[in-house]
Amino acid sequence: MSKTVTEHTYGNMLEVKDLKTYFLTDAGIVKAVDGISFTLKQGETLGIVGESGSGKSVTNLSIMRLIPSPPGKIVGGEIFFEGKDILKLSESELRSIRGNRISMVFQDPMTSLNPFLRISTQMIETIRLHQTISRKEALAKSIDMLKLVGIPAAEERVTNYPHQFSGGMRQRVMIAMALSCEAKILIADEPTTALDVTIQAQILELIQSLSKKLNTSVILITHDLGVVAGLCDNVCVMYAGKIVEKARTEDLYKSPSHPYTYGLIQSVPRLDKAKNGRLFSIEGQPPNVIDLPPCCPFHPRCHKVMDICRTQYPPTTDLGGGHEVSCWLYGAGKEQANV
Amino acid sequence: MTKYIIKRLLGIIPTLLIIITISFFIVRVAPGGPFDGERALPEVVKRNIEAKYHMNDPLLLQYGRYMFDVLRGDLGPSFRYKDHDVNFYIFQSLPNSIMLGVIAISLSIVLGITSGMLASVKQNTWVDYLSMALAVVGISVPLFVIGPVLQYVFAIKLQWLPTSGWFTAGGDWKTIILPAITLAFADFGVIARLTRSSMLETLRSDYIRTAKAKGMRNSAIIFKHAMKGAMLPIVSYLGPAFAGIITGSVVVEQVFRIPGLGKFFVQSSFNRDYTLIVGVVIVYSVILVIMNFIVDVVYSMLDPRITYK
Amino acid sequence: MKRESGYQMKNIMRKKQLPQTMNEFDQVVKGNSLSKDAWRRLKKNKMAVISVIIVSIYILLAICAPILPIYPYDEIVLDHQNLKPSFSKTSGELMFEKRLADLYTQAWRQGRLTLSEEQNAILETWIDKNQATKVWDYMYVEGNRQLESGTFTFNTAENRTVNNLKSKIATDLQITVDTIWTTDPQTGKKLNVEKLSTEEIVNLYATMVGNTPQQVITQYTVEIEQQILKQIKSESTGLTEAEYQSLLQADLAGFSQKERDNLTKDNVFSKIAAIAKDIAASDLKTAATDATAEFPLNKEIQIKDSLSASVKATKMHERRYYLGTDYVGRDMLSRIIYGGQVSIAIGFIGTLTSVLIGVVLGALAGYLGGKVDYFIMRVVDIMYGLPYMLLVIIAMAIFGRNILNLFFALAIISWLTISRMVRGQIMSLKNQEFIEAARSMGASTPRIIFRHLVPNSLSVIIVFSTLRIPSFIMTESFLSFLGLGVQAPYASWGSLVGNGVGGMTLYPWKLFYPALAMTIFLFAMNFLGDGLRDAFDPQSKNQL
Repeated sequence: MSKTVTEHTYGNMLEVKDLKTYFLTDAGIVKAVDGISFTLKQGETLGIVGESGSGKSVTNLSIMRLIPSPPGKIVGGEIFFEGKDILKLSESELRSIRGNRISMVFQDPMTSLNPFLRISTQMIETIRLHQTISRKEALAKSIDMLKLVGIPAAEERVTNYPHQFSGGMRQRVMIAMALSCEAKILIADEPTTALDVTIQAQILELIQSLSKKLNTSVILITHDLGVVAGLCDNVCVMYAGKIVEKARTEDLYKSPSHPYTYGLIQSVPRLDKAKNGRLFSIEGQPPNVIDLPPCCPFHPRCHKVMDICRTQYPPTTDLGGGHEVSCWLYGAGKEQANV
Repeated sequence: MTKYIIKRLLGIIPTLLIIITISFFIVRVAPGGPFDGERALPEVVKRNIEAKYHMNDPLLLQYGRYMFDVLRGDLGPSFRYKDHDVNFYIFQSLPNSIMLGVIAISLSIVLGITSGMLASVKQNTWVDYLSMALAVVGISVPLFVIGPVLQYVFAIKLQWLPTSGWFTAGGDWKTIILPAITLAFADFGVIARLTRSSMLETLRSDYIRTAKAKGMRNSAIIFKHAMKGAMLPIVSYLGPAFAGIITGSVVVEQVFRIPGLGKFFVQSSFNRDYTLIVGVVIVYSVILVIMNFIVDVVYSMLDPRITYK
Repeated sequence: MKRESGYQMKNIMRKKQLPQTMNEFDQVVKGNSLSKDAWRRLKKNKMAVISVIIVSIYILLAICAPILPIYPYDEIVLDHQNLKPSFSKTSGELMFEKRLADLYTQAWRQGRLTLSEEQNAILETWIDKNQATKVWDYMYVEGNRQLESGTFTFNTAENRTVNNLKSKIATDLQITVDTIWTTDPQTGKKLNVEKLSTEEIVNLYATMVGNTPQQVITQYTVEIEQQILKQIKSESTGLTEAEYQSLLQADLAGFSQKERDNLTKDNVFSKIAAIAKDIAASDLKTAATDATAEFPLNKEIQIKDSLSASVKATKMHERRYYLGTDYVGRDMLSRIIYGGQVSIAIGFIGTLTSVLIGVVLGALAGYLGGKVDYFIMRVVDIMYGLPYMLLVIIAMAIFGRNILNLFFALAIISWLTISRMVRGQIMSLKNQEFIEAARSMGASTPRIIFRHLVPNSLSVIIVFSTLRIPSFIMTESFLSFLGLGVQAPYASWGSLVGNGVGGMTLYPWKLFYPALAMTIFLFAMNFLGDGLRDAFDPQSKNQL
């Protein structure tokens, strides 16, 4: 693992390099994730933003190697976690990471808990998978965790079935379960999409406070820029399987560089602006990523589209301070585009 | 839970009443029966029946009496045989049929679930193809074809097993193998396919993904997380499966000459022995109704989401 | 990980594209109807396509059965009982072989045909295991060998039997009289006897038998009266002779002169035809014995005086049975095809009927809801709880075993599932906007149900019906197998299998061919149904 050590930068919890995850379907190859790279530091909260189908969830399932295969396949790239490439781990090594070092909270709390098993069963099982403690201790720990996420009367409710909880409560249970083994990384895949707005804020707050308390790094997947603004240190904006812009949260909001990011930010309704004006919207829909031609996939919707956008994918330009963007409008690409 | 069980028990009553009512009118109205005087009955039997049913009473009174008798478990005298009444003939052959049925349904459940699970876990391998091919045979080929073909191959050509007979009637225990396999075949097919498809669907569900994300082993996921949910469609299929076993046993008992209720049933329908036919149907219906009830209760115990209101 | 297909996007994009860019953004999206889409998916499914072909062949055979060059399915030839299937040998050869094997076996039993110790042992084990076919086959070969080498000879009686059989096989004819002609002695014109007037036929017959026409008429009046009396007696039982006589008189009084003439004519003509056939038979038999005629033969034969007849004759024992014969010498091939006709017809028409009942009741329950729904669904629930197959058996026992009753009994019990399915579909559809729209435009309830709701549930109904057909056929065959369904001389696959089971040790083809024919069809129907379901509803792959 000498190569690993040299390439691995200290302080990075997770390092994703040129990850490619494709789906082989009848219609053709779907490049759901096509060459993305990012890093996650200890204690950091990273937001991944994008429309439905932009590859956010696939990215994170790839990190856990949970891509349903077939038809999905990770065809290239490296994912370093604690100095090891996750993509090269054996099944059993992988299992010791899943749920233990890296855990996940899914989008729909209604379907993500097994409806046929008691909460206690599901929690104890998780704890005892990774820690050698007795059932009793595991149960006590489960109750502690449930209390920690704010489930009232946790001692009694732990024996309930999932359907006896509300959506928000179930998501709390999911979080409790995810954090019950003191995971280093928590991947929250749109954890609030399926919930009421009032509950959403509570859940996000919970994730934030717990991650601070337990010093857990968080990858927060969302399509809601408001959520990102409040919670994340860094943001990746994804479009059609690629990261189009990557920056610190403040930078991104201050100077959104990619036309897509700009559009996204503009389309968030704001009370302080444009009371009389119309809400900005990006026309059209994200493209079908089957057999995408070599072009900027955003060009049909882009208001600054140039000829080169239609034939070539733009290179990544560093705008300084870790602010990276993939667009023909910037850096080396700019001159090339103007030729 | 108790409430639910009581409610289901009460739901059985109309079904049973309708069965008995239909039975009553069949015995009474059927042409070619003993009451239109066309067919000559043994004098003894005729007198027995007339006495039994108080034939000259008003119809409603007769109906009431019949209902009372049936509920008491008395199915009346046979139209054909004067030595014993219907109860005697039925309870003489019923144990054989129950034995065959129980073995067949157990076989089909055990083998069906096993091969369905194997097929779903080893999807698109030879295990999958083999068990699904067998399942298609079970579903497509009627058991009155499967039975004789098995009989021809294993009993006549290979001589491994006896062609027919029954161990209580002097044959050895091997006599039960071919009939049980034949009878189990159709339900095996359905159960294997159901298991496979419901298992595949369950394995694709979100909570299985959660379990994987927890770092569980595949085998543990299948047995601890997927099994319970995947079994629900199979449990709800068991009701029709019991009905199929009952119907199928009629043919199987005929093919393998088993002295069971089904063989009796066919014989008496040729003889137009209405009281006997009706008696057999009542017994079958009661078995079926009880089985359906048990299936419902088991289902409600398996699925915690069912509320008992 | 499903992707949005982006169809709408492509449509919006088109107007913005420059003409020279050729990428996925400017592809025009063609609208596809559900059925077209389903058809495309079905064509991709190999098993389904093969099944469609197989099912089409079966249906074609069933429909064309009357014009196919096969023997009639109900023609009994007692000489041809239980002949085994053969492509190369005629029925006569098979009969001969069977007889010889029989004679050899008898001779062996009597000790006149001696075999080695070893051979005896083999034969004895076969006999112990009840494998008579093997014994016969062996004895036939062995006997022929010994007969040739001279170690065994037939005795006189056996020789006579063999020779009789030989000449029987050579000379037995099957004769059909097509037309009977009479030549007018004056004009020399040939006339078809069947088309003559009553008077002419009677005269003709009178001269044939040497009676006066008056005598002929009296004779036939008596015969006709007896026929009618017989019919009356079979229709109403338990009357006195006098009552019968009065009924007869009443009937006769009801006949017009013309009807009476026609009856007489028919009777006399059939008599003439019978005579013609007899004469032709004896004529042709001599021809067959002397080998002066070639068979099959189709020629005009002189009957008597001015009468002649066009006659078709074939040698009875030159028939070939590709799939063997049954226990009364009927051709299995033809019985399987006609049995298939009955089975397939019951399967299709029965399914259609039960689907119609189910759709109407299910749609009513689903759309009207409330009490109607409650009532229909309770009936369905209760009927579900009954062992309905047994009720069908009872119905057959009570109302008599014929195809029509069988058909009704099956249709009445098999609408349950479809009605439940249609109800579910309708309930989910009825609150959708297009129904609101129809209702707001004043469409009547039946119109909404049958013009809007039912067509929208059609794919479910089609898929279900296709899967229903094999189970309907199975049910019908099940009853016929038990002897409670289709009755002889008609056949269905079930009754053929049922008949085959009894003698399967000796005559396995009687079991296997009908079973095979049926199994292939059921397989094909099941695969077709599965294919259709996957095509219409790709999400529910492999669901039952």
